[in-house]
Amino acid sequence: MKTPDHVRVKKTTGKMQIATPGDVSYLAYIRAIITDLARQVGFPETEVAKIEMAVDEACSNVLEHAYARDKQWRWQHREPEIRLSIRTEAGRLVIEINDHGQSFDFDQYQPANLEHRVAQMAPGGYGIHIMRKFMDEVQYSSNDQTGNTLRLVKYLKKT
Amino acid sequence: MKDFHIERETKSDVQLVKLTGSLDMYSFPRLEAQLSTLLDQGLIRIVLDCQNLDYIGSAGLGALIGFAKQARLKGGDVKLLRVPERIYKIIELLGFTKVLQVHETEDAALGSFTA
Repeated sequence: MKTPDHVRVKKTTGKMQIATPGDVSYLAYIRAIITDLARQVGFPETEVAKIEMAVDEACSNVLEHAYARDKQWRWQHREPEIRLSIRTEAGRLVIEINDHGQSFDFDQYQPANLEHRVAQMAPGGYGIHIMRKFMDEVQYSSNDQTGNTLRLVKYLKKT
Repeated sequence: MKDFHIERETKSDVQLVKLTGSLDMYSFPRLEAQLSTLLDQGLIRIVLDCQNLDYIGSAGLGALIGFAKQARLKGGDVKLLRVPERIYKIIELLGFTKVLQVHETEDAALGSFTA
């Protein structure tokens, strides 16, 4: 796959690191990389679709919230960027999404029940629900040295 | 990856809107603008043909559900047609198929609007 302009990619055995500008136009590229790697690990297609959506939601949240112009970013002087670190390991896919926008109290955020939101036909606010529903592990950390990191893990389940 | 685009035609008093490509945070504002225009014009019977859609994220789903709600308040609806299986499984898991009508044929979709 051709690497778009302004994207940095670094590959080592079992690991890929990607840095894209913090812009919505790069979401399709990120999804394509993730789905390709998920298939390489051996996930069935429905699980690939779940991973794709969870990562897309995570990156979309970074762009919409962490890098919102009216927010206080961790590193104000840097242009917005999304940095992904993806490890393909036997039986699992580990994806870390890093940004230097505003941090977020992820663990305290308890959105209303997904079923209830859908039944109410709420027009948004599904992202974190989707990540928690579709991934096996969702962990958020934030510090001044490395910024904000969302870690998503999906295990390949034996059938 | 196909570029996102929208085509529209009118069939039997229903707006048939064909979507191609990915409906994500980048592209959904264009669908939002199209649906908003249609509803503002009183065109409240809308079918989204998803045959050529390869992805839909929560921004797109949220927009659809929001517009379906608005259309229903006016006596219309926004319905889905020919959702690819890969996408259908996801939206079903999330519960969206309980609130959005999904049809497999154009005739069924168009005919589902009561006169």
